[in-house]
Amino acid sequence: MTVATHAPFPVPRGLAVAFAATGPLAIGGMLAVRAHDAGPVLAAPAIVFGVVAATAPALYIASAAVGAAPSLATVARAFATAFGAFGIALAGLILPAVFIAVSSVSPRTTIAAASVALGGAGVLGLRRLADELEAGARGRTPGATLAAGAVFAVWAVATGAIAGRLWWELAVEVAS
Amino acid sequence: MNAGLDAAPRPGLGTNGGADSRGLGTPAAPPTGRGASPVGSIDLLLRDRDAMLARIRAGTELPDLLRTMIATIAVAMAIVGAALGSYRGGVQIAYAALKLPIVLLGTAALSAPALSALGAALGRRSRLAADLALVMTALAFGALLLVACTPLVLVGRAVELDYHRMILATVAMFAIAGGAALRLIWRGVALEAGPGWRTAIVGLCVVFSLVGGQLSWALRPYLVRPRAPDVPLLREVEGSLFDSVTGALRSARGIYDRESAPLGPRAESAP
Repeated sequence: MTVATHAPFPVPRGLAVAFAATGPLAIGGMLAVRAHDAGPVLAAPAIVFGVVAATAPALYIASAAVGAAPSLATVARAFATAFGAFGIALAGLILPAVFIAVSSVSPRTTIAAASVALGGAGVLGLRRLADELEAGARGRTPGATLAAGAVFAVWAVATGAIAGRLWWELAVEVAS
Repeated sequence: MNAGLDAAPRPGLGTNGGADSRGLGTPAAPPTGRGASPVGSIDLLLRDRDAMLARIRAGTELPDLLRTMIATIAVAMAIVGAALGSYRGGVQIAYAALKLPIVLLGTAALSAPALSALGAALGRRSRLAADLALVMTALAFGALLLVACTPLVLVGRAVELDYHRMILATVAMFAIAGGAALRLIWRGVALEAGPGWRTAIVGLCVVFSLVGGQLSWALRPYLVRPRAPDVPLLREVEGSLFDSVTGALRSARGIYDRESAPLGPRAESAP
């Protein structure tokens, strides 16, 4: 698990973050073309970045409260790396998703392809975040490690649920 | 992971891609001689896949290898397509021979970057060219296995095997070839033992299945009933494989999206 911290991205970090910034725009663009409405272009990145921005402080506060948080700088670096991982993963999934979307006339297929791409990249981003936070908090007691794992799991589920709910509402709008 | 593969050279494995290239834990010296020419590469793929994986890992002559594997897939799948098309005969032989290579090569081109991207996201030191070469090599191996199965397709045609059994036999052949190709990819990526390699392979499988399913769906039909009067090159663009599967599930539960099944011209004109 800790290897992830020492293994750099095979692309510059800036490029990875650029992927993360533009990937959700592209996913939103897919939905916008299908819905004939520009709204999803902004809604998709707003969901991704808005939800994480809204819930990230909670992760730090809760981890620190149970005595399991790395330093603020380490947590910030971990989030930046996780975003980079999310961007790289999304860059690899966007082409297949676009192909599946454009080769079908069904809005459901577009929504499913966009959801799988965004969800898959999101899960990998969360996994990378967990790896980075674990690597940044070496020397914790077993109790603190357990508490940190529980806090992260609850945070990840809550963040995923909020983002999923908002994404579902966007998908319903596109499908209608 | 590499313990067993870093063992001392074994006797009797040859001098180029044999003993040396079995030391897969570290990048092996690029094999020369056997495997360098297109025919040699195909022979190496069939006879000594460990040596082929070592060659990919060494990263030498990747453009040549890629060209060879793409050509192998194109030719092999054209042969398989022609064999499937022969079940109906006529123009369907040419149609299927044209479409099957497009399906496999198109799916590989769209899906292979996912292997690099998903692995890289988790810290795997992936290289796009090497990953593409690995995927193409594995698919070429699968395509060659399918070519080896084409006599069975022709036997099915000769004994007039019914359409549904022919479909099942075709699915079984593709499943065997797909499994062999996947195993080769798994071995190739596992040699690195880098972080996230399992996730990268699982991700590739998911993406490959979805893209391959959709592309093959879009370019269907391949296997057509012998009594079919007309064969289109492509069917009309409609819903996806995903829609078809969900529609079939709904129909199985007695929920129909249309009032009746579409009937062909013969059935409609029948009394």
